[in-house]
Amino acid sequence: MSEALLAQAVAALKTVGLNYAFVLDLGERSAFLRGLGVTLQLCLLTIPASLAAGVLIASALTSGRAWLVQPARAFVEVTRNTPTLVQLYCAFLVLNMLITQHVKLPGGNPLTPFVWVVIVVSLHKGVFHAEALRAGIEAVPRVTLEAARSLGFSQRQLLWRVELPLALRFALPALVNNLVDLVKMTAVASAIAVGDVTYESIMIWTQRDNVLELLLLILVFFGLLTWLVSLVGRWLEERLRMSGYGQ
Amino acid sequence: MASEIALPQGSAPAIAADAGTPAWRRPWALAAWAALALVAFWAATGTTPTAFVHLWTWLPALLRGLLANIEISVLAMVLGTLAGLLVGALSLSPLRVLRVAARWYVQVFRNAPVLVLVYFTTYVFPFELHLVSWTFPFPDWIKVVLGLALPASANVAEIFRGAIQSIPSAQWEAAQSLAFRRSEIFRLIVLPQCLRRMLPPWMNLYASITMSTALASLVGVHDVVDTAQIASNTVARTDFTILVYFTLLGLFFACCYPIARATRALERRHDRH
Repeated sequence: MSEALLAQAVAALKTVGLNYAFVLDLGERSAFLRGLGVTLQLCLLTIPASLAAGVLIASALTSGRAWLVQPARAFVEVTRNTPTLVQLYCAFLVLNMLITQHVKLPGGNPLTPFVWVVIVVSLHKGVFHAEALRAGIEAVPRVTLEAARSLGFSQRQLLWRVELPLALRFALPALVNNLVDLVKMTAVASAIAVGDVTYESIMIWTQRDNVLELLLLILVFFGLLTWLVSLVGRWLEERLRMSGYGQ
Repeated sequence: MASEIALPQGSAPAIAADAGTPAWRRPWALAAWAALALVAFWAATGTTPTAFVHLWTWLPALLRGLLANIEISVLAMVLGTLAGLLVGALSLSPLRVLRVAARWYVQVFRNAPVLVLVYFTTYVFPFELHLVSWTFPFPDWIKVVLGLALPASANVAEIFRGAIQSIPSAQWEAAQSLAFRRSEIFRLIVLPQCLRRMLPPWMNLYASITMSTALASLVGVHDVVDTAQIASNTVARTDFTILVYFTLLGLFFACCYPIARATRALERRHDRH
């Protein structure tokens, strides 16, 4: 029934010159759907992981201890100024190789390409989150902190009740922007043969020569994902809005 | 590359640097001197590790690859800037149709992964162009330039629009009341201020496009990443593989970090004004 509907849709698109015949092939359709699922999984795992990495790096950057600040600063600079693809290669082709050579576990190396993509993209975007959070922390007015201190807030209360809530609100637009970038960045997973939507599409179009059709689907899918992320971001901004801070 | 020139007299300046000049204290200068001293020591005693000998033979190929990356990024940025300024101007036009079209262009190409756009231009365009009776080859690297120019143009359009709109509307009104024409206000009052505001984000974009050129290796362009992979597979030594990939990281860092530093310096100067 739904097959028939699908066939009709494919035939209709054929008349406008788009060849979506692959959706009628059970194997290719399930491969494509699996790719969509893998991309979704990548996003759902890297978003929280990158935020956690961002908080860690930001706390190292603002800790004020030279032995923490300087390595964090160097890591930030190197990560911001090198391509994600090269970082992925350094992690997957170099570190992974070393781990495989030196760790003798019964099941072999437990780190799959998928895990490496999650690690590398999380750390990469974590750096950008950290920069946003640091800027947010620095944007908290000194007067507000002094006012809280004069009201008898302890250092810990000051951090958790005053500084961080305000810093988060200042940083939120930049964080959402970074998350949109992160969603787009997961496409790089196809470079090390993780079966995400881009990779599965390459597999299909090398068989069928329907590049344009698949690329349109991918663009729509990523457009949908980035739209969802920015929607959640806008909702959060709306919810966390405090009168007097931000627009 | 720098060590090639400094190799013969490598150790002498290293000793001079010990005197404690102010430049000596900079971490980059320090690292460079240390590397030079190490190379000089290896050259003098003939104990260079094999991986570094291999790296030395592959370095010219890597640098040629890097040149391809830089060419791609410069061309993509030139094309992207021209197209982006056009689209940005359209997004401010009084005609609604043009505004909506420009808005869509920016939305689509800013929200698409760069890798997908590179695949798009690589596979959708033909490998040859037929114009009347001539046939031009359409090499892959030009397709990558186009693939990177698309997101670059969308971002430039957004930077341009943001800069124009950041000029207070009171300036337009004041200029109008002084009987300037619309084109004159734009050319003489708004644009000069915009250019200064656009420069830092534009440089950021340039650095980001330079980093994106690494994706060219995925569609078969012989760039620096591709060269590094070939080198790693040809030499097939663990230590060389580690070295060549981290050299790759270092090469990109050397290209992009100065741009980031310059951008920050410009922003700081802009803040003060």
